Amino acid sequence: MKRFWKWFGGVLGVLLLAAFAVLSYMAGSPKDAYGMVRYALPHMHRGTLKVGSDAPDARLVALDGSSRFHIRERTGSRPLVLVFGSFT
Amino acid sequence: MQIYNDYKEHADFLTVYVREAHPTDEWQMKSNLKDDVCYAQPKTLEQRVVIANDFIKRFKFPLPFGIDDMSNGADNAYSAWPERLYIVDESGRIAYRGGMGPFNYKPAEARTWLAARYGEVKHETPVATSSAAPATTAAPSSTPAPAIATPAK
Repeated sequence: MKRFWKWFGGVLGVLLLAAFAVLSYMAGSPKDAYGMVRYALPHMHRGTLKVGSDAPDARLVALDGSSRFHIRERTGSRPLVLVFGSFT
Repeated sequence: MQIYNDYKEHADFLTVYVREAHPTDEWQMKSNLKDDVCYAQPKTLEQRVVIANDFIKRFKFPLPFGIDDMSNGADNAYSAWPERLYIVDESGRIAYRGGMGPFNYKPAEARTWLAARYGEVKHETPVATSSAAPATTAAPSSTPAPAIATPAK
């Protein structure tokens, strides 16, 4: 039984290493593979919004840093294309 | 900026700055160094406002712009990080839901929706139909444009 677990652990370790190597290749480097696992994977299946769902509202800050407005204020008369992103 | 220029007479656009995808203190990419886009993850709203203004200035970004506050309300409501596109119709419902960027971030799909409604806009040179990999892409990218800039293509 002890031998089985030794083999099992060894094979699992090799498989994990191989998976990480493949991911590193795909992502560009081991650092990026780690970043993908650490930061991107947890977000992969976030969200329940679907086509037809009510668009949620959220309060935003204007570029002056002090004015506030709501996404909902921009909807109603025409379609609203929402573009989410960051600088980096 | 092409999709914005092509359809701004028919649809409203709103860019929402959400938390950084590749800040220096998290998952910084080589392309960020190359493009000199190096920021730590903002800890205060003031820091977000500074970065958003740097972005606008650097790219002379013409789209209407809003900044998610530190509660990340917009990000959470729309599962927006790191980048995502939606179209909300006149009744306030989601009409188009893009996938999570960068790999499923496809401005061409939003363009298709707009074109179906308002007609295709012809260009002498073809408009990019696939998602241009932004600087935030997990895979190395030769595209210097940052995440926010890509949707407008």
